[in-house]
Amino acid sequence: MKKKLLSLPVIALGLSILGLSNPARATTEILIQIQKGRFTPSEIEIPVDTKVKLLIENLDDTPEEFDSYDLNREVLVQGHGKGSCYIGPLSPGRYKFEGEFSPETAQGVVIVK
Amino acid sequence: MKPLQLTLFTLIFANSLPLYAASYLSDPADYIHNPIVEEGEREIDTKFGTQSPKGSSGNSQSEASVGLGYGVNSWWFTEVYGNTMWNANNANFDAVEWENKFQLTETGKYPVDIGLLIELERPQDRNSGYEVQYGLLLQSEWRKWQANLNFLMQGHYNATINQGSFFGYQGQLKYRLQPQFELGAQIYSWLGQTNNWNSNQQQQTSAGPAVFGKTKVGAKQAIEYNLAYLWGTTASSPKNTIRAQIEYEF
Repeated sequence: MKKKLLSLPVIALGLSILGLSNPARATTEILIQIQKGRFTPSEIEIPVDTKVKLLIENLDDTPEEFDSYDLNREVLVQGHGKGSCYIGPLSPGRYKFEGEFSPETAQGVVIVK
Repeated sequence: MKPLQLTLFTLIFANSLPLYAASYLSDPADYIHNPIVEEGEREIDTKFGTQSPKGSSGNSQSEASVGLGYGVNSWWFTEVYGNTMWNANNANFDAVEWENKFQLTETGKYPVDIGLLIELERPQDRNSGYEVQYGLLLQSEWRKWQANLNFLMQGHYNATINQGSFFGYQGQLKYRLQPQFELGAQIYSWLGQTNNWNSNQQQQTSAGPAVFGKTKVGAKQAIEYNLAYLWGTTASSPKNTIRAQIEYEF
């Protein structure tokens, strides 16, 4: 019983950090378009320690996947479709991303200052 | 319910199963679920594991599984796979499983990403009825660190013997060093019946180091792996477990 009681604060702590009771504050949104296998813009600047929503719009006929190991994000965007993901808060640095289906041309970087 | 019930039940029930049947709630090839769903991802998922019991209480048990998974959309991933288990004396097809994972929050929107797992297993041994595992999947990241914590329930239905439902958790911490090689640790723990947790030594807990990685092998193709060596931390846990998962994504 004592063990159960000790476990409750741990679970409560876990649930409290979910942050669901405190919805994300107004988040900056940045639009990235995919056209002819390239990202526009291909360089994005965001402030340090700020959460940003990336809106990814694919203007091509074929699907593309926004892929970034640095940002730990993978988002499939269908042809003429839209996708999104949240990134940050991030420390200063350069975070590369690419289009997994056309990595030769679809390259970009998030610069955090 | 008595604290020893889980162990006693395990021993009694294990006797009703073929010799190779697992006597631990964590199968040798269990793995850490994560809540993130990647739309359109197709994968051939192979898992392998072997567990050694403590003392001379039985043979080592091994398990292998092969599955086919698909990210149906941005919030639902489904996978069907088959398991084989064996030991020194016996080998047999063990079960067919259908796993469904639902991502409940947008990746990165909140400090913790949340998912839901529902997995249905049809054991080959029909005395075991159907096994259902379900639970809450949590993931958070900070800089290059990623942490997972899952709370799971597991129960059998339509089984010859009523086994009740068990509560457990699994956790993972990893440092994202580079795509091909990441370091971390995993823990798998079953605490006992949902309404009566076991004493520390009767719980089944295994923990140890793990490595992870992913490498691209062609256009839209990648191989992802994770491998762990786990030590049993209680008297009721396996002495050690070696487990691996290799996925071919295409």
